[in-house]
Formats: sequence, C-alpha cells, structure tokens
Amino acid sequence: MKLVFGEGSCGIAAGARKVRAAVEKLNTEGAVEIGITGCIGMCYLEPIVDVYDGGTLVKRLVKVQEKDAERIYRAVAGGGRGATALPELADLEISADDKEFLEKQTRIALRHCGLIDPEDIAAYEAVDGYKAIRKVLAMTPEQVIEEIKISGLAGRGGAGFPTWFKWNAARNAKGEQKYLICNADEGDPGAFMDRAVIESAPHSLIEGMLIAAYAIGATRAFVYVRAEYPLAIVRLEKALAAAKKAGLLGENILGSGFSCDIRIKAGAGAFVCGEETALIESLEGNRGMPRLKPPFPAEKGYTQAPSNINNVETFANVAWIILNGGAAFAAMGTETSKGTKVFALTGKIKRGGLVEIPMGLTLRDVIFGIGGGIRDGGTFKAVQMGGPSGGCIPEHLLDTKIDYKALGATGAIMGSGGMVVMDSHTCMVNMARFFLDFTAKESCGKCVHCRIGTKRMHEILTRITEGKGKEGDVELLQDLCNGIKAGALCGLGQTAPNPVLTTIRYFRDEYDAHIREARCPAHECAALKKFSIDPAKCKGCTMCAKKCPVGAISGTVKQPHVIDQSKCIKCGQCVATCKFGAVTVG
Amino acid sequence: MENELIDLIIDDVPVRVPAGTTILEAAKTAGIDIPNLCYLKELGPYGACGVCVVEVENCPKMLRACSAKVAPGMVVHTKSEKALATRKLALELLMGDHDGDCQGPCKLNCPAHTDCQKYVKEIAEGRFADAVATVKETFPLPAAIGRVCPHPCEKACRRNLVEQPISIAQLKYFAADQVRKDGNERPIKVAAPTGKKVGIIGGGPAGLTAAFKLAQWGHDVTVYDQMPEMGGMLRYGIPEYRLPKAILKAETDAIAALGVQFINNFKIGRDADFAKLRSWFDAVIVANGAWKSTAMRVKGEELKGVWGGIDFLRAVVTGEKPDIGERVAIVGGGNTAMDACRTAVRVGAKEVFVVYRRTRKEMPAEDIEITEAEEEGVKFKFLYAPDEIRGRRKPVPVVGKFEEIALDSVIAAIGQRNDPEGFADLPQTPKGTIAADEGNFATTLPGVFACGDTVNKGAGIAIGAIAQANEAALAVNAFLRGGEYKPIKPILSERNLTEKDFEDRPRIARAVMPQRPAEERKHDFKEVNLGLSVEAAQAEAKRCLECGCHDFEDCKLIRYANLVQADTQRLRGDFHPGFTEQKLVTIERNQRKCILCNLCVRVCAEQAKQGLLGLVGRGFKTVIKPEFKDPAATAVCKDCRLCAENCPTGALKIIG
Amino acid sequence: MCDCCEKSDLSKLTPVFEAFAGDDHALISILQKAQEIYGYLPTDVLYAIAEKTGNSPAKVMGVATFYTQFRLKPVGKNLILLCKGTACHVNGADSIEKALVEELGVGDGETTDDGIFSIKTVACLGCCSLSPVMMINEDTYGSLTPAKAKEIVRKIREASK
Repeated sequence: MKLVFGEGSCGIAAGARKVRAAVEKLNTEGAVEIGITGCIGMCYLEPIVDVYDGGTLVKRLVKVQEKDAERIYRAVAGGGRGATALPELADLEISADDKEFLEKQTRIALRHCGLIDPEDIAAYEAVDGYKAIRKVLAMTPEQVIEEIKISGLAGRGGAGFPTWFKWNAARNAKGEQKYLICNADEGDPGAFMDRAVIESAPHSLIEGMLIAAYAIGATRAFVYVRAEYPLAIVRLEKALAAAKKAGLLGENILGSGFSCDIRIKAGAGAFVCGEETALIESLEGNRGMPRLKPPFPAEKGYTQAPSNINNVETFANVAWIILNGGAAFAAMGTETSKGTKVFALTGKIKRGGLVEIPMGLTLRDVIFGIGGGIRDGGTFKAVQMGGPSGGCIPEHLLDTKIDYKALGATGAIMGSGGMVVMDSHTCMVNMARFFLDFTAKESCGKCVHCRIGTKRMHEILTRITEGKGKEGDVELLQDLCNGIKAGALCGLGQTAPNPVLTTIRYFRDEYDAHIREARCPAHECAALKKFSIDPAKCKGCTMCAKKCPVGAISGTVKQPHVIDQSKCIKCGQCVATCKFGAVTVG
Repeated sequence: MENELIDLIIDDVPVRVPAGTTILEAAKTAGIDIPNLCYLKELGPYGACGVCVVEVENCPKMLRACSAKVAPGMVVHTKSEKALATRKLALELLMGDHDGDCQGPCKLNCPAHTDCQKYVKEIAEGRFADAVATVKETFPLPAAIGRVCPHPCEKACRRNLVEQPISIAQLKYFAADQVRKDGNERPIKVAAPTGKKVGIIGGGPAGLTAAFKLAQWGHDVTVYDQMPEMGGMLRYGIPEYRLPKAILKAETDAIAALGVQFINNFKIGRDADFAKLRSWFDAVIVANGAWKSTAMRVKGEELKGVWGGIDFLRAVVTGEKPDIGERVAIVGGGNTAMDACRTAVRVGAKEVFVVYRRTRKEMPAEDIEITEAEEEGVKFKFLYAPDEIRGRRKPVPVVGKFEEIALDSVIAAIGQRNDPEGFADLPQTPKGTIAADEGNFATTLPGVFACGDTVNKGAGIAIGAIAQANEAALAVNAFLRGGEYKPIKPILSERNLTEKDFEDRPRIARAVMPQRPAEERKHDFKEVNLGLSVEAAQAEAKRCLECGCHDFEDCKLIRYANLVQADTQRLRGDFHPGFTEQKLVTIERNQRKCILCNLCVRVCAEQAKQGLLGLVGRGFKTVIKPEFKDPAATAVCKDCRLCAENCPTGALKIIG
Repeated sequence: MCDCCEKSDLSKLTPVFEAFAGDDHALISILQKAQEIYGYLPTDVLYAIAEKTGNSPAKVMGVATFYTQFRLKPVGKNLILLCKGTACHVNGADSIEKALVEELGVGDGETTDDGIFSIKTVACLGCCSLSPVMMINEDTYGSLTPAKAKEIVRKIREASK
C-alpha cells in the first residue's frame, strides 16, 4: 500500500507535510510506501492523502489533520486491500459530491497534476512523458507549427493571441540567436494555475518548451518565475537537472542535433513584468518597464534578438496536442476558442480550486455545476474574471459561454483564468477600489496615463467608499477610464479601467447609493457602516460599553444600551463583543 | 528598402517621406507640430508622455507618433476628437500632479500682472535699470505708482506665510528713483510709424499707460487733459507729501519724449465736442477718470465750508489755498479721507477729526496711512455718521445716540464718480459710467474704447486703471491693424500653500522705510518717506522666495496645457513625492515639477555618457535622482547641462 | 543608517560575482543573492555591485527600488507576508491586516521595535483557496480569522524570546 501526499503550496499550507512527517515517524519499518504528488486542484479539501494499492487509487482522504496520521497509518499498514477496504477511514473519505468537482472537468494542461510525483522524471515518463518531443524531433519545425495551428491553441496568459502565429513570426524573424521565454510571472491576484503546473508537473512545462524551441529555432530558453513561488522554483530546478541528465536538455538532445538550454530567472516582484516587453527588460536585469511596440519581441526581444514568449499553461498543452493531434484539441470548445482552459475558482465559493473545462461551457456550469455555488448559504452577486485587467460579471450574464469573444463582450476578459466569486456581502465599489489600488501600486510609472490616471481613479474610488463621493464622480471615472484605455503604453494600463467600467456598467446603483445616500448596500465599506443595538436582544450586560474605545455606547445595567452615532468610529468591537447578537450593522 | 518613399496623408496633407520615418517626423515635414514631451530626435522614442498620440484610420488603437512608423496609404489624424481627448487627458493628469507655480502670486494678484518677481530679482542683483525696464514693460510710472499703489502684489506675497511680504511697491520706486539719480534709464524702443492716429482723453494713469504703449507700437498719439498738467489723480488727488510732483513730472516727460503729444486745459464739450474729436483720429480712448465727489445726502451739505474730498485736495494742489478754518471733520475711511485729513493738518487746521461709520478694522484705507495720520495728530471718531450740518454754532448736549461737533469745515471723502457730460454718444451703465467691454474695453462706437475710473464699475485703484489701459491699448492696436483683440485667460499652474510649508524657512525682517518724524513732517508738504538705501533695498529684494517658475516662457507643459485648454483642477489629487534643492554641480532639481519624461536620465547616459541619473522607486512614487556614494563624487558630473537644457518643464534649473 | 557608517562584509559577495561572471544581464539575480546573504541590500553592497557589474549606481538603485522583493533596510527576525490578493480581499484580508497592526503596533513595510516582526503586504501568494492567507518566513497560514492571526504571531513572539 502507498500513501501519496498532495504537496502543492496549498496542501503544504494546509498541513500536508506535518501529516506526512507524523506518518513517517510511525513508519520506521517501511510497512507503508510513502510518496508525494502535486496539487490536484481541490484546494478546499487540502490536505489530501491518496491511498494506492498496486498503482490503483483506492481511497482519497481529505482534510486530513496531524491527529489523523496514526489511524491512517495503522489502517493502511495493517488493513485490508481493495476499494472497499479501510472502512475505519470512511469519515475522511472524499464525498460523492466532492468527487464531482474532478469528474466534471476535462484535464489537458493539468493532466498530470496531483497524479504523479513532480520530483521524479520517471513518473512523468511513465505517463507518456517526453514522447511528444521524440515525435517532434522527427518532424520539421513547420509541421510542428502547423499542428499547433490546427489545434487552435491561443495564449493562455490573457491576451488569447494564436500561439502558432507567434511561433511562426519568431521562426521567420531574422537572427542568429533566438530565444524562447516562458512567462511564469503569474501575477494576477486570484490565479494560481501556473504555479500548480510547475509544482505538480514541471516536466510537462519543460517538454512543451522544448517543442516550441524546436519549432521556432531557439537554442536558449528562460523560465521567468515569480519570486513568490519558491516551491515551484525548487521543483523546476530539480526537473531541469533530471531532464539534462536524461539527455532531454542541453546539447544535441536525444542525438537529434537539436540543442536547447533552459534557465530559470526568478522575478523580483513586479506585476507589470507579466507584460512581455517589461518581462524582457527584467530578464535583461533592468527595471521592468514596458517598451514601445513595435518592434514586437518576435523581431526584437531579449537582447534585441528574436524572442517568443508564452505562458506556462500554454506550454502545458503543447505535448498533449502533439501526441493526440491538433484536431483532437480543436474538437473541444467553440468557434473562436478551442480546447480547454484552466480556471482558479476562489472567493465565496463552496468548492474552490483549479478547474479545467472545455471552452464553451457557461459560467454557471463552472460556478454552480463544478464549484457547487455560493458557500455559507449566500447569494451570488458577481464573478470577477481576468484579475486587475478583467471585470465583474453579474448574475444575469451567468449563462455566458466561456469563450474569448463572449467574455470580452461582457466587458470582462478570459484573462489568465482567475475566477473570484462574490456574494451579496461584497461591495462592488470597494472591489473596483481594490483593483485600482493594485494596479496603481503595480504601475511601473513610465507612462502618464497609467501612472497618474490609476492613482486618480483609486483616489476617487476611495472617496466614494468613504462616503465622500461627489455627484459627477462616476462620469469623471468613466472619462478617465476611456482616456487611460486609449493612452496607456502597455496592457497593464490599457486594461486597468476594466474593473471600474464593468462595476459601473452592472452595479451603477451601488455607486449611486454610496454617493447620494452615503450607504454601502453590501454593508462592507467601514466608513458607511451604521452600528446599532437591537433593544429586544440587548440584555444590558455592559460588555460592549466597556469595550468601546471611544465611549460611544451608554446605558444602565440590565437595560438596552444605545450607540451614539456621532461618537462611533465604526471599529466593530461591539459586534465582536456582544454575546447576544444584539449589535446590528446597517 | 531604406530609400523607398512612402506616401501618406496627415491631417489632409499629402506627405512623402522615406520608409522608416516616424509619424511625428513625417508630420514635421508638412509643418504639422505634434505635441510631445518625452521625445528627442537624437535619442529615439521613449513613449512615456502619451501626448503625441494620433489616430490612424482603420487602426483600433491610438498610436504614439514618436514611435509609430509611416506606412503606405496611411491616413493620420493628429487632431481627431479621440486624439485630442487622449492628449488633453495626459496634460490634465500632468497638470493635476504638477506642484509648481508658473508665475508668482505677486504677479498674478497685480491687476496689471506686472512682473514683480523679475524686477525684485533684478534689484536684488543690483540691476536697477533692468528693474525699471521690467516695470515699464507694463506701465510707464514706476516711481509714481510705487509710491501710491495699495500693492495687491504684497497681499499675495508668499513671504506672508513666513513673516511679512516683500516690500514690492517700495522696491519699485526705489529702483525708479535710483535710475533717475544715476541717469542710466534704458531707452524705450519705438517702432516705425504706422501713420495711424490715436486720441486719448484723460492724462491720468490709464490714459498715460495707453499712450505709452501705443506710441511704442508706432502710432501717433495725442493725449488731452482738462487740467494744466498731466498725471490726473496722481497729480491732483495724491498730496505732494506722498508723491512729489517733480517725480511724477519726470515720468510724464519721459512719455512725451516718445513722441506723444500732450494737450492740456482741454475739455470735451467746452473746447471741442466728442464727435468732432473722433473725426481727427483713427481711434479714441476715453479715460477721463472720476472727478466728481460723491454727495453725503445730509441736510446742510450745500453750505459753505463743506468740501468734497478730491475737490479739496485739488484746490490745495492748484494753489487755491482753501480756507478750512481750525476745526475740520473728514467724513469717510478710505485713502482719500486719509489724504484729506493729513492735508488739512498741513494747511493749518488745529483739530482734525475723521468720522467713520464703522470701526478702524473695517477702514478701506491702508493701515500705514491711518497710523501716519494718527501720528500727525488726527483724531478718529468711529461708528459715527453725519446726520445734519448746521450753519451756526449752537452747543447741544448729547441726546441719545447723537452728538453735535462744532466745526469750521467738513470734507466729505466718501467716494468719487465720473462726469458723463460731453459723452452722450456713448452708452452708459445704470451707474452712469461709460459701458465698455470688460475684455477689450471697446464701446459700441467703432474705434472708441474706454477704460479706467470712467467705465463700468467706476473708480478703483490706479493699477486697476492701468491694467484696463493695457488691454485697451492692445485692442486699439488690433483695431488699427484691422483685427479684433480678444483677451484669453492663460491656463497656469498654481501652488496652494500654507504656513506649514514654510516652517523651516529662516525668518528675515522686512525692510523698514525711514520716515521724517511726525512733528516735523506735519508742517510741510515734503515727502514723508525718505526712501530705501541701496543696501536695504537689495537685502529686502533678496528675501524673495522666487515662487514663479524660471522656465515659464519655455515650458512645453504649460504651452500644451494652454493649447488643449486643459483643466488643471479637474484631476487634482495627492502630488507625487518631491524635494527641491537637490543640487548637482550647477543643476538644481525640483522634483515637484518633474513629469518623469526621463529625458535627463537618457541624455546623461546616452549623450553625455555619464549615467549619473536614474529612476528610483516605482509607479506614482517614482522620482529621478542622482545617486552617489558621497557628495564629493558629484565631481564626476561634467556639468554639461544637457539635462537642464532638455528638460521640458522647470524641474531642472541652472544655478550659478 | 547613513551611508558613511554602513560597513558590510563585502567579501561575501565574491562567490556571487564568480557565479554570474560573464552574464551581463544578471543584475537582478545578483541583487537577490546579495539580499539572501545580508538579509537586505545595504547601500555599500549596492555600490559594490554597481562597480563590479559595470552598472552605474543610479541604475542599480533604480532596479533595487523597482521590485518589491528588494529591501533597503533590515527586516525583523520574522517576515510576515500578508496576502492581499483578490480572493483574500473577498474573504476579509483587510480585517487580518487590522488585527496584525493591532497586535504588533506596526503596519505595512514596518518592523517592530524589538526587531521580531516585519509586515509586508503582497499581491497574491497563490494560495487563494485558503484565503485569507499569510506567510511567515517559510510557513503559510491559511483560513485566517483576526483572532487566529493574532494567536499565530503571539506564539512566534513567545518562541522568539
């Protein structure tokens, strides 16, 4: 019997390593085989421990705690075999409902995630790993590009540009030395599929990159990984070393005469480096400030040489396409969007994690079908897609198909796949403020429209959430948005207005309530909260009055207390203190 | 490929340029200037400012003209609605983040926008003739106006936020006196004659200023005045002890020296009617002032011994020696009241009262004038107003709120108004003043303009009349050349500062004007103020904070902000971080005015091959700084000044 | 700390320079290694890197101040990275920040007087399903509540004493 611990960053954060250490302590005689795997994407169930019997998954244990280690060990070390075994662990077993989370997905980019040992190249090779590069080495680069063209694969980093086109441009660009760059600077807050791929199946990234390098004629490649992903860097380093040792990387790969070296460059914390020309600047050791385009990187990229940049998820699809054929990939999806897309489903969702589905499903399918809807019995309000460059999609558009064009029409974007679900407690103005806080902080500062424009938008949104909004602020925001979209130098600035524009478009009433009535309909904006005591529930225990830092609560013992609104600083201490739920927030 | 020529259309103009040319350079060949702030041909495009955006047909995105290359058949619009809107937004964002004063508050608050900061600096540097020339760019009477002006410039002076304002007015007349003494006044240039004739009615500050300007522009100017000498109220309303006639005469003579003809003792209606006078000239300016005293509207006003304020002052000047007796009351609280009471003291009154219906604090007169009157023995009765004036003495006890004062004469200095007699052809306001356009001072009669105390709101301060005269002169000049003058209010950047911003400034006392003692001066008409010494004046001038930007004339940012009519306030918010006084050899950096065009960084690295400057920080908080291990290492700077020369704003200043 | 009294042991940089010799584009990597060695980037280290890499000090300073990872001041013994990503925001990251500020008396980018903690907010740690999340040194703490967050730092403070 084998116990496999899900040790992606989420699993580790949830305590997977502690559980494994506890099991290993008991397993002095090696009665149980112990292994690790990456992230299966059911982050809400972490830590997850899979029980294998002779290579077959027999039990998936979820939300395992350190205290469960001993009985798991005892059960597995001495227990019966087969799928019906280990009845004593039934309480830890994944429920049928939760199983649906995976069963409803179609996994290509994530095909190995959570299933194989990321630190073992043999485990990857055992699931057809590195077969695609072998196949490719017998093809011409043009044939490879043609296959990718047939697949309809588009850049999964956000822009959705046809991958074959970029490869072809780089292939045809003049230059002795060409470069391939993997953008693993997954900066969109709320997206973590690239991290999961690198942590869970680094070889699938390496293989995809080798195929691309072969197709465009690049002999040197970089993976630009964000510094916040230390585990991904460690696993990728190990995988690169293993691949090199296996002759899959470096000089004369597999005796084909094709050489390619891949190096890791760690980012240093700048969202703008997700923009390809800023990323190149950063690779060169400079401030990550975007360059003017044209020239495009395919012509003049890293060190002014032809360069091609794709993101992790894009590369993760490549080997599958080569092995299964571009047509098989293109068979999935819609007219304009082919294949599958990975989403990071988070927020007020019942089942959050990584979801890979064919293009063309609806948002409702993902959020309610796979994600199980809103948690804690809340009601759906909006889903934020595409991170700071994206937008908020309201309830009445939930049947929108997941497709570059259809999502674009809502004002949001596919983006890199962040899908943050919000319920009625989320203030949409504050949400817009949150994103502009982000983009303003991440603006590189080069161009005027973005540097000052995002700052001003953030200031205006802040004053609205503080109840200091003025009539005309919404129009001023719209004016700024349109001008910044037109005038900003790079994608960061050009898309920064999207969260503001979509929230105004779909939730104008919330803006108006803040501005005209000094009211936050979601009761989220602290400055606009009104705390009051329900006299029917108040027992007059005086606890809140004692706790109140500004003496805003008065009343006599055993009599209902009252809050003086003029003194209240809206700190919420009274709510936290009251044992009777008598303090209401309006 | 490089020699291939490309045809395209920019703003409807066909352009042919070599392949590889940018839209910006291509436009230049067609004489189309696309605004830009971060572009320098030698360095290539950078793309930061976003001001050069243009719209290209069939291209969904706006393009930056500095970097986008021409393509065959391209149709470019540099001023399309979208291009203009995007450009305007960039400039509004920059202006909203621009913490700098284009011009000093002194200059802005002067009705005539006299360049106070410039002449104060010239005085500080001992360049007194230059200072006088600077004043004379605005008006011809620095010695006179310096003595009488209530100096709104000083009220706005930022030095008020430190301790006290610069003595701008006193410095102005100091310079004029000094230059007259030294005999080194800069000659005034007069343009070649235009053959056009201008008649000006009224030889006061307004008429003289208009004459001075129009004469410089080559017009044949004649000034008519009803009094025997030129100067108007400066001569007949301001007492000798404040403004000696000789000083005024020197300045009016200098105007005559430009070829302006002065005709005195000439009154419209008496010596010629207005229509006739018009027929002698191509254009006419009516600037005949406000020479009638306002009535008190009390019983007994018509009695002997009751004077109007300006009438009394004029009588003293013309040598009529008015008999006002020993006990005199002046009614009113303005500067004319002060002039009248102090003149009354000087012509021999033993007891002089000022009767004012409000409190001292509310008196419109200059505080220094009130103090000086008090020093000279004038008594003030506040919260009193005249009720009735009786012809003979009859002591009555105080009853209720009334008091009776025995007097020999009463001088009513409560206001003055114009005399419309002889100008029936000109439309009037309900107040009885001549109605003129507030912008160019044109009247409804073609070629007739009117300015000064005689128009619209009526009497005001001299510099206000001068301001109007400058506009009227411009309007006349345009009219004579067949055009029309429409003043445009320029868009400017202004800082909003408080005492807190100056907390760390050293306090330096304002110069004290030496004066003759009250006991001595009250017996004669000799000038009360003795004038600043050269040393005192220069020290005083050095107190100037130099608020206005040194680069105002060459600043691309403000030029473009005016070009697109940018709203400087709409997008005001927090300012980016900034410090002044970061010196690098001879370059002073004011980060508050920096727009991060990065030109200084780039020229230092790429042209000067020094690489001493760099961007520090990120986003809105980015600043440009020189970065050195120790200050001594600034010696590595070659002082080539390319950075300052290429700065599109006033962020970099060459000092020393 | 001012420039004149900052004296770092620059010999520690030698292996870093050797490792990146010949790579003209390694400035960021070198700064990362230097920060690993010194815990932050002291001014004299920045100047040494400028000299050795042939970059102007202005450029090195420009790069060091552009990226959020780099620190020009020493940090506390324990670095708290508080995630302020979207998912964490939706799930109450602001209240966690407030709790930490209350508990430690310092805010974003600051270090406690005793030098035990520094707080830094970060855009996203990529553990969105566990939101709200913070990372202290190598350990990630998920599904935080204000009380839980306070409890965690209290325990670390006890252990650090």
